[in-house]
Amino acid sequence: MKQGIVILCSLLILTGTTAMADSIFPYKYQKEVLPNGLTVIMIPMESPGLVAYYSVVRTGSRDEVEQGKSGFAHFFEHMMFRGTKKYPGSVYDSVITSIGADANAYTTDDLTAYHLSFAKEDLEKVIEMESDRFQNLHYEKPAFQTEAGAVYGEYRKSITSPFSVLNEKMQDLAYDVHTYKHTTIGFEADIKAMPEAFDYSKTFFQRFYRPENIVIVVSGDIDPAATLDLINKYYAGWEKGYVAPKIVPEPPQAKERYAEVSYPGKTLPIIDIAYKGGAFDPTNRTYVAALLLGDLAFGDNSDLYKKLVIKEQKVQFISSGIPMNRDLPLFEIYSMVKKEEDIAYVRDEVYRTVDQFKITPVDQKKLSDIKKRNKYGFLMGLDTPDNVAGGLARLVAITGGVDVVDILYGQFDTVTPQEIMQAAQKYFTPEQRTVVVLKGAQ
Amino acid sequence: MKTLTLVLALLLPTITFGDEKVPADNLILLPVENDPTVSFRIWFKVGSQNDPAGKEGLSAITASMMTDGATRKNSYEDILDKLFPLASGYNASSSVEMTVITGRTHKDNLREYYPLLTEAILMPAFKQEDLDRIKSQVLNYLENTLRYASDEELGKAVLYNTIFAGTPYGHITRGLIESVKSITLDDVKKFYQQYYTRDNVAIGLGGGYDAPLVDRLRKDLQALPAGVSTQVAKPQPQPINGLHVTIVDKDAASTAISLGFPINIVRGTKEWYALAIANAWLGEHRNSSSHLYQVIREKRGLNYGDYSYIENFPNGGGLQMPPQNVGRRQQIFEIWIRPVPNETRHFALRAALREFKKLVDNGMSQSEFTLTKGFLAKYVLHYAPTTMERLGYAIDDKFYALNGSHLQTFRTMMSELTLADVNAAIKKHWQYRNIQIAIVTKDAQSFKDALLSDARSPITYKSPKPESALSEDQEISTFPLRIKAENVKIVRVGELFVK
Repeated sequence: MKQGIVILCSLLILTGTTAMADSIFPYKYQKEVLPNGLTVIMIPMESPGLVAYYSVVRTGSRDEVEQGKSGFAHFFEHMMFRGTKKYPGSVYDSVITSIGADANAYTTDDLTAYHLSFAKEDLEKVIEMESDRFQNLHYEKPAFQTEAGAVYGEYRKSITSPFSVLNEKMQDLAYDVHTYKHTTIGFEADIKAMPEAFDYSKTFFQRFYRPENIVIVVSGDIDPAATLDLINKYYAGWEKGYVAPKIVPEPPQAKERYAEVSYPGKTLPIIDIAYKGGAFDPTNRTYVAALLLGDLAFGDNSDLYKKLVIKEQKVQFISSGIPMNRDLPLFEIYSMVKKEEDIAYVRDEVYRTVDQFKITPVDQKKLSDIKKRNKYGFLMGLDTPDNVAGGLARLVAITGGVDVVDILYGQFDTVTPQEIMQAAQKYFTPEQRTVVVLKGAQ
Repeated sequence: MKTLTLVLALLLPTITFGDEKVPADNLILLPVENDPTVSFRIWFKVGSQNDPAGKEGLSAITASMMTDGATRKNSYEDILDKLFPLASGYNASSSVEMTVITGRTHKDNLREYYPLLTEAILMPAFKQEDLDRIKSQVLNYLENTLRYASDEELGKAVLYNTIFAGTPYGHITRGLIESVKSITLDDVKKFYQQYYTRDNVAIGLGGGYDAPLVDRLRKDLQALPAGVSTQVAKPQPQPINGLHVTIVDKDAASTAISLGFPINIVRGTKEWYALAIANAWLGEHRNSSSHLYQVIREKRGLNYGDYSYIENFPNGGGLQMPPQNVGRRQQIFEIWIRPVPNETRHFALRAALREFKKLVDNGMSQSEFTLTKGFLAKYVLHYAPTTMERLGYAIDDKFYALNGSHLQTFRTMMSELTLADVNAAIKKHWQYRNIQIAIVTKDAQSFKDALLSDARSPITYKSPKPESALSEDQEISTFPLRIKAENVKIVRVGELFVK
């Protein structure tokens, strides 16, 4: 029951906000762009002395265009904690420790985010240190090679999950040339070779860690004017120099693809049915309708969920993922099947459901229910400075700002059953489909 | 505002009649005027320690039957339909001693949400098809996910089951495979009748609720059956003599290690906060300030992280901050070494035990103490930024029978405690001679042989290391563990969690 909720909420958390009076977003925000191109979004909100500070780099595993360098955006995220000449890694750590900040970072396909949550009196210290490492990162080869070991450790701890094995195979199979071909953590062979890529790592920093490729989101107990003064003080000297990677677009897929993959442990079979989706475009009503289609067709009150999970009990779960991306992501439907002999049946039930949505208008009540759910899910997710800034990170990375949120929610509100049908017809076609079935080896 | 409140109270359904209410003693209220949402935590004083022998897992399954199944008012499908537009749900959080039904909704939707939540608690339908579905999920977890999908979770489960073997804490909350298979609807109904009683419930309510909701909830939950449950005695884990090792033999690409021993201290006392400082320095969860992290990951790149605990911290891989409502009267000290390459497993185990021994023998230094207490005084702010989390802490305050707020005391104690307090707490509660160690790895026999012979475990690197690290490596690689043959047990992964 809860799986679908988690997935939908994460989708909603990724969506954002604006400052207009009739906006869905309950907080006023201020957006500024420094002369060097650095964008700053400040969101004051009630929070007892707490501030969240996100540096969103609009670079992720999508930007890893060079052969053999998959996983590098994530590896580089680790290197950003190795410090500068002014604040070497151990000093950076001890300052973060002394101010009791909750500090971390993550990398995805389209972005890398560095985030800290801390007491408001430490804002200047945080700005000073963050601006320093983004401008003056410095590390030697031994530290670089040691960190490669930690990254391999991260890969090792995750690859025991069947979902890691499945996703690795799906992305590799579904894409021919686009960098979405590899997962964010990268191919294992590339991770093993990371210690040799010291010189390359320096170019990664030079090309991508530039002000015009970065958006800072500050939320919580802040005074925007004073915050902006501090950001100007510490970031104004940062030089432009972003070099956009040449990402080869994925050609249209002409034929269905299929693979089976073996998981070395024991698991129930998992079917992953993926369709080439659309790049983020809130002005495209068919695309916006597709964002709703996943939950309408496969969410936890969908007819198919009720049939396969609750009545027939043939699957442990079924869920969909319709992500928002800069380029064409996969729109995926996962199901874990209890008996191997039911794999074909479950797969065909997914196909049948997709086909039905192409020819049958969705019930108005279901459509208004999902619109209401979107609205309240979004509002309920905005409860802490960290959730507000973190929730905006993906839209900020994709669009460079948060103005898009009102456009997106305005579109959600007016999606029609006809447009849901059009979305099913456009994206969910057999020739754009890739299917991977994972089975346990034991 | 007042008018609205009255209207709201009238609109909510009445489930019981009369003036009886859940006693005020069992109320935990956290009103937050400007919070647009309402948070519920309905706490039942029951957990897997109450599972009958042969029915391990019954407590968690009963809770799931309430929150993931039909009620006598609505089919499960109808419940999902009704919850969907509210973007709300309710969950059961089951642990060894506590079961908490949690739920949160926007104030705008409270009128529709409230009956669904209370009906789940008061009138679960207990249908066979729901039981079949829920049991299938639990069995899939025990048979497949826990054994194969995450070796670190597997290692921790083995550690806890070993330390508490033969006690009511001696099985993980989700139970044992044969026991779960044997659970019937009758078992669930009996368990519910016995433990989900009005005398066994406490109401946690937080956020932007209006005052009449408190009374409504107190009256409605009074409709639970009467009956006082027998308290399970605090577990008495078997004493550990020496270093005991359980090796889970599995075709694993890397090695997961967890180790620990029971400690006789729980939150609330000055000594506990002193120990918390030492623990934060040694291994604050998912934090690079952890000393173990610095030694094993940062300097040597052996894994993704290394942490330590003085309170149970389930789902450590998925959480950044400590969870609420997993209180236990008996805690363990625990070290978690995330998966390391198999060839460095012996070295990593030695490195962790050596650092721990140094801390126990030498205590913290003044500078480490000053840095760490300053860190914690602010870091605990992040433990509970939301109303729901603060409400969880307030319930835990009641579980541990604290006079004030644990989080508040935590901060106060950081300015009161001295280095001497911390080092005394270390000496009193920590030791390094008697420890249970759980290891998930391949070629268990060869590792057992290496452990028993205290064989050298040298380490090589692909990158140059400073002389200081290399000479420290020499000491680590020969650090004696003195493990006796009779204290090493090898188990096959397929034998775990069966009965």
